[in-house]
Amino acid sequence: MATTAQISITSADLMPGSALNITASTTLTKAGVTADLDQKESGVIKLVSGTEYRLGPLATEMAGDAHDIASYLYVHNKTTEDATYYVDWGIHETMIGRLYAGDWMFIPWNASDDGAEIEIEPQGGTNIIEYCLFNSDVILPSAAA
Amino acid sequence: MATLIPTLTLSSTDATTDLLNFSITDSLNITQDVVGPSKVKLTTSDLEIGPTSYGKSYVYLKNTDDTIAINIEITDGNSTMQLAAGEFAFFPWTGAAGIVAFSASGTPYLEYAIFEA
Repeated sequence: MATTAQISITSADLMPGSALNITASTTLTKAGVTADLDQKESGVIKLVSGTEYRLGPLATEMAGDAHDIASYLYVHNKTTEDATYYVDWGIHETMIGRLYAGDWMFIPWNASDDGAEIEIEPQGGTNIIEYCLFNSDVILPSAAA
Repeated sequence: MATLIPTLTLSSTDATTDLLNFSITDSLNITQDVVGPSKVKLTTSDLEIGPTSYGKSYVYLKNTDDTIAINIEITDGNSTMQLAAGEFAFFPWTGAAGIVAFSASGTPYLEYAIFEA
């Protein structure tokens, strides 16, 4: 499952006389090795505001030791509402940033332990999130007896 | 005020039988401070590349090393990302907690930029 991520960041007017043109590309692999990741999960979800949600599995729900647990997370806020609508994102209880309408993010998430889970919390109203997660094998929980 | 246009493309021919190939772009108004594309040598000691003096910002990070991983913490001690060789990240950041970088070993170089909205 060779998956490639490419980014370009451009601006014609950020720094006068020097147009900005950053480009980078990487192939998504398991941590510490060049082997491809095994699983992909993606979707579009509606989330009501005021509730914290966990996006993606916990470390202990993924196969392998800590060095195998690498994930790549893409999140896009598809909401078309005004700036009062946004999604806070963070690691565990640490809020890191806000995705406003149209904003996206891409990170290599270090799922080192269960206290490093990705949390998102919509604000302002119902937000629509598109996401894609590339990760190591997930161990499904046992069914209820 | 300047306009920043970040674009991400994800592609794969074998992730699933449905080919993965999409691009997403955004148009961001940048009105405050900017750290233009910069490159810094890291060690295994913490180096704060994003101080809390920043407000709402967008952050670009790239590990330029061929082998050594770079650890990123947002709030000291909170492991957030590990950039393996050649990997990059782009994310919105509130500036509420500083961004700290350090190497897993050796002295890799980190490329980074910060754009304050």
